[in-house]
Amino acid sequence: MIAFLLKGILRDRNRSLLPIIIVAIGVMLTVMLTGYIKGILGDVVRQSARFETGHMKVVTQAYFDNMAQLPNDLALDEVAALSQNLSEHYPDVDWVQRIKFGGLIDVLDDQGNSRGQGPVAGLSFELYSGAGSEPKRLELSNSLVEGVLPQASNEILMSYKFADKLDLALGDEVSYLGSTMNESMAFSIFKIVGFIRFGVPQMDEGTIICDVEDAKVILDMDDASSEILGFLPKDRYDKKRSYEIADQFNVSYQETDDEFKPIMLPLAEQGELKSLIASAENMSFIMMAIFLFAMSIVLWNTGLLAGLRRYKEFGIRLALGESKGHIYRSFTLEAVMVGIIGTVIGTLIGVSFIWYLQVYGLDISGMMEQVESSLMLPTRLTAQVTPELFFIGFIPGLFAMVLGNMLSGIGIYKRETASLFKELEA
Amino acid sequence: MKNETIITIKNLVKRYPEGDTEFTALQDINLEFCRGEFAGVVGPSGSGKTTLLNIIGSLDSPTAGSVHVLGHEIGSLSHRESAALRNKDIGFIFQVYNLLPVYTVFENVEFALMLQKIKASERKKAVMQALEWVGLADKHKKKVTKLSGGEGQRVAIARAMVKRPALVIADEPTANLDAANAHAILKMMKKLNTELNTTFLFSTHDEKVMTYLDRIIHLEDGKLIKDDIQSPKEYSL
Repeated sequence: MIAFLLKGILRDRNRSLLPIIIVAIGVMLTVMLTGYIKGILGDVVRQSARFETGHMKVVTQAYFDNMAQLPNDLALDEVAALSQNLSEHYPDVDWVQRIKFGGLIDVLDDQGNSRGQGPVAGLSFELYSGAGSEPKRLELSNSLVEGVLPQASNEILMSYKFADKLDLALGDEVSYLGSTMNESMAFSIFKIVGFIRFGVPQMDEGTIICDVEDAKVILDMDDASSEILGFLPKDRYDKKRSYEIADQFNVSYQETDDEFKPIMLPLAEQGELKSLIASAENMSFIMMAIFLFAMSIVLWNTGLLAGLRRYKEFGIRLALGESKGHIYRSFTLEAVMVGIIGTVIGTLIGVSFIWYLQVYGLDISGMMEQVESSLMLPTRLTAQVTPELFFIGFIPGLFAMVLGNMLSGIGIYKRETASLFKELEA
Repeated sequence: MKNETIITIKNLVKRYPEGDTEFTALQDINLEFCRGEFAGVVGPSGSGKTTLLNIIGSLDSPTAGSVHVLGHEIGSLSHRESAALRNKDIGFIFQVYNLLPVYTVFENVEFALMLQKIKASERKKAVMQALEWVGLADKHKKKVTKLSGGEGQRVAIARAMVKRPALVIADEPTANLDAANAHAILKMMKKLNTELNTTFLFSTHDEKVMTYLDRIIHLEDGKLIKDDIQSPKEYSL
């Protein structure tokens, strides 16, 4: 009977073409949007983890309370011991120190007068020792627009937009003015050895990057650090694991009220990421529900029209001795077949599109220049092909088609046998 | 077996609601049909021919009275039991053939057997034999939409006969056919009636059909006017 029904579906375009197109479009959109959101979320999480949050971040309670001000006077102290402690307890995690600092960059002319100034956000990490994982994690080599990575003390990288604004060239020296951890004045001369472009608006506007040891000297942060970031193995974010580690760590400090006690924040608890991750996780479900509802309505109507058109056929089949229940079941089975065909087509198209985005991405740098957000938003969005994309479409595709046909097929029962049979006389 | 009664109708009344009143389609009909009869119900439009055949074919049920078909009381059958009766013992032939247009000749005839869950190999044998009876074995792969009117009706006959039913109900089977095709179809049905001892019940206006019938039942305004046994006038099998 299945082969018989399948022949009917394939040969009768009125029975199959429109429903298959509707299911395929709905499934394709579901798959595309799900993959796209996964991609966006993955990009945002990856970018935020690399530049800002790590998978876990250790700061003092006081620093956390004033985090937006980059308050290095509230930074972690005795970080060598703390880092060692973290590495011993969580050896699979890469723990790195980062110092963030603010200040002013001043550019002098040949006569020693200031020819340009600008506020700067400094980022420092283990850079030129060669042993650290940070240059690779931040893809510094790929982000280098011009020049080389710092090889010696007081060499820095500068964001290309900032350098352009201050009319700086490679090899130029700039003065840095800021405040130390002890709130005295910090001053240093930096030599620019490279221009960088991360494709992240916050990082490309006014950033300098120097080695963490240079920052410690300039900012009087010997054995201190703004933050210690933790990265899970292979730099792959695992929400559950990051929460486990953070919870374990925080339990050991829960008895103390010291405002300088270290606290660990999992990635998903930092800044706007918390709400973003929560809403993104719900997005697939919401989309599926919307498509399920919309497609069910459309397919219900399509099914009703198909059912009306096929009342004559039902009449013939009743006359041949088929029961109403059997007709209803075969009508539903046809819907399953059409749903599967439409879902497979929609899934293939949707996954192909997502794969294309994953490989080639979508350049949105023009749009991102207008966006103000504390999130590390990438300027090139990519989607992500995940295993769930291959089956997520079956929920709206199959369910909507079957539900639509089952609702419309009720008409078979509502009509008297003789009434259906009378269709034959029409 | 020829004289075995397979249909018994007693005091049959059929009424349909019509606004606040009721329309009486059949009134106090009493009839019997034996196995192997080649009978027809004739009468003007609205006389109750189709209603009578629908009730005999278990597509409708009586308002009053009793109708026994092949041992089944039609009024007391459930939908499922009615379907089973039609599936196994009753074949239908319609004025406009009513074939399933997306399927081939073979598949249209086969469908009746699929409902009986007969094995594919047995179905194939039975279908080809039925198509031999109607002279369409060589066209079994053709789409039914590609057939002529006469060929379409022959497929409908094969579909009705393939399950070897005890009773075939034919509603105006020649109305859409030219004279030559009508005679060919009627001869074919008469031959099957004789060879397979199948009872044929016609509803017709067609004089050509009447010449083939052994018995003609006249209905008018839902009432039985005349029940004539006659000798068929002209045909050669």
